[in-house]
Amino acid sequence: MDSAEKIFEEARRAGIDLDLVDTNLALPVGERWRQHDGALRFILKLQEAKATYDAGLQPTDR
Amino acid sequence: MTPDFSQLIAKLTDSGFEFVMIGGYAAVTHGSSQVTRDLDICAVLTDENVELLRRALAGWNPRHRMTPQRLSFLQFPKAGERVNNLYLETDVGVVDILTSVLGLGDFARLKSSAEKFEIDGRVCWVISLEDLIVAKEAVGRGKDKLTALELRVIAAKRKL
Repeated sequence: MDSAEKIFEEARRAGIDLDLVDTNLALPVGERWRQHDGALRFILKLQEAKATYDAGLQPTDR
Repeated sequence: MTPDFSQLIAKLTDSGFEFVMIGGYAAVTHGSSQVTRDLDICAVLTDENVELLRRALAGWNPRHRMTPQRLSFLQFPKAGERVNNLYLETDVGVVDILTSVLGLGDFARLKSSAEKFEIDGRVCWVISLEDLIVAKEAVGRGKDKLTALELRVIAAKRKL
């Protein structure tokens, strides 16, 4: 196994999606940034929604 | 806060503030699929540079995120006051400005091997892939080690 293949194998075992890396590398850098920023905004919205939901939960004695 | 690092970088670049992008967003620039919550950059924090930075960020309510009162960056530090690092929060995202990087060195060291990217007509200097791997491994946290491994994949793919 050559050194590149060893790194790929180590990455696969660690759970890194190599197809996703290829997809990213095919994009221009500006597009990588736009996709990243969109993903971050989505994560923050999900967290905000969870916080709102959690705040609405009532404690119970039972 | 609505994060928009692309806009933040564009503003910093247009202001004439000289920096090298480091950290997670540099990893994204090189092709990493991770998501990061802040923009890390390395620069020399002279009075003149702090002033350039202040003017660039002025419209986005920059404040020191490590202070309980969220002190305004527009007022602190005072002129002549020496700072090593700035940890700021703005309306378009968190930006940390460091004067050196663990395992590598200062701005001059990073700039000497930085990679130049042209994005939307602007030139942006980004820590080299090799240096970023060293920096991520030097930090040594689990998530940084995983990013370093992903970056090693990218480095290996570059050589194919």
